[in-house]
Amino acid sequence: MLFISLNIQRFAHVKAQGSTHNGRDSRGRRLGAKAADGQKINAGSIIYRQRGTKIYPGKNVGMGKDHTLFALITGVVKYERCGRSKKKVSVYEA
Amino acid sequence: MIKVIYNSDYKNLKITGHADYADYGKDIVCASVSSIISTSVNLAHEFNQDIKYTDDNSKIEIINNTNDENVKIVLENMINMLKDLERQYPKNIKISKGE
Repeated sequence: MLFISLNIQRFAHVKAQGSTHNGRDSRGRRLGAKAADGQKINAGSIIYRQRGTKIYPGKNVGMGKDHTLFALITGVVKYERCGRSKKKVSVYEA
Repeated sequence: MIKVIYNSDYKNLKITGHADYADYGKDIVCASVSSIISTSVNLAHEFNQDIKYTDDNSKIEIINNTNDENVKIVLENMINMLKDLERQYPKNIKISKGE
């Protein structure tokens, strides 16, 4: 029977197991539709937040420098097709 | 860095610190020091059971209250081996004589 047992890592520094360099993320940007199809909207109100042009500006709709779509007039929102595979959003007078 | 302090007649030896040579499980300096100490203390205890050994995780202390020449030789040999290790890994282990 040994007087003292052999622990060959007795003088090793116990480091945290596998610390990663990940674990960071930015907060959600709340993108997407802010006005639904058929909804009444005031001039200047935001219709759609997006990165790039997922949806294009249609009639009476402006686009900001961050591709945000907003109404130019007070009216009703209409999501429509734009060519074969694209979409656009327009605002028509109520 | 592992620090080893011993007195001239090998009556009291203190070992503290970490080798910090590599991560846990790969630290060869730590493994060597542990092996040298365990082997020496177990051998000394075979010669004379009055040798005292304490390990409170921060410090190991070996107290040799015996006048057993064999125990002294074993502890002297342990220090010599640790000194040899110190020559090879001066950044990870330091031996010094204290009173």
